[in-house]
Amino acid sequence: MAAYFEDFSPGTMMRHPRGKTVSELDNVLLCNLMLNTADGHFNADSASRTSFGRPMVFGGVITALVVGLASEDTAEEALAELALDSVRFRRPVFHGDTLYAVTEVLEASPRGELAQPAGEVRFHHWGLNQTGEIVFECERTVLVAKRPTGTQP
Amino acid sequence: MREPPVDATPEKLRHAPLTRRGHSFSDFQVGQVYEHHWGRTLTETDNVLFTSLTLHFNPLYFNAETARRRGQDRCPLNPLLILGTAVSLSVEDLSEASEAFLGLDDVRFLKPLYGGDTLSARSTVLEARPSSSRPGQGVVSWLTEGFDQRGELVLSFRRANLFQLEP
Repeated sequence: MAAYFEDFSPGTMMRHPRGKTVSELDNVLLCNLMLNTADGHFNADSASRTSFGRPMVFGGVITALVVGLASEDTAEEALAELALDSVRFRRPVFHGDTLYAVTEVLEASPRGELAQPAGEVRFHHWGLNQTGEIVFECERTVLVAKRPTGTQP
Repeated sequence: MREPPVDATPEKLRHAPLTRRGHSFSDFQVGQVYEHHWGRTLTETDNVLFTSLTLHFNPLYFNAETARRRGQDRCPLNPLLILGTAVSLSVEDLSEASEAFLGLDDVRFLKPLYGGDTLSARSTVLEARPSSSRPGQGVVSWLTEGFDQRGELVLSFRRANLFQLEP
């Protein structure tokens, strides 16, 4: 079911149904694609001599995956991503870890002056790993279309 | 074909001078500006690959008809791709020698980009201070701004990383 602006009420919690195991392919491909030069994300040999002993997943990938896992429930009808705030990487994520996402709706404010009827929705997202530890948190503001007139929720 | 030097032993290669990359905690002065290298022309392929791999199920980024219905001529680039690329372009100057990426604040997506647009990035040092909770370590934060090929501001954010005080 598509989520329009009217469907979001502050205080609503959502546990998103899918997880994603962050494979080496995901992290290394996306890091290299975006030109992240830090080889702590893609050099297993040098990473073996750090305190973690293995490559860490890039925060830009963690952020995109947690937002991605939450996207169908929060942004399927979004017109634009507006902002991220208080993005925090609480624990390292490694190849083979599985990410899950949980969201709370913080605020929903209509916006009047746009070409398309829409409102801003602010979410708090948590990213959890396979043992339930919080590895990531952020707030995210999205411009979401209002429900077209004549359609049913 | 020219023969390689006969005395190129692994031992000798290990002693070739190492090219250094990245900066350490003491290199950062508040107010210092880094114009980051390269820039990146982001393509529709980048966008679809990134959006699919990160399970970003907003069809705005991968269905041209949806994009048109939502008032765009074609699919805009996924803002998370723009953010990750802007951070990545800044890594060699800012954080390649750091211990950990702590977080981002005030990320603002100010202007959409489309396939074929070129992103460049610039950062300003905001703060470099010893960590109050981690002896021997320090936190550096920067303001990073991303621009398109016309020099228009596309996004901005603050980033903080953890460093060893003595590299």
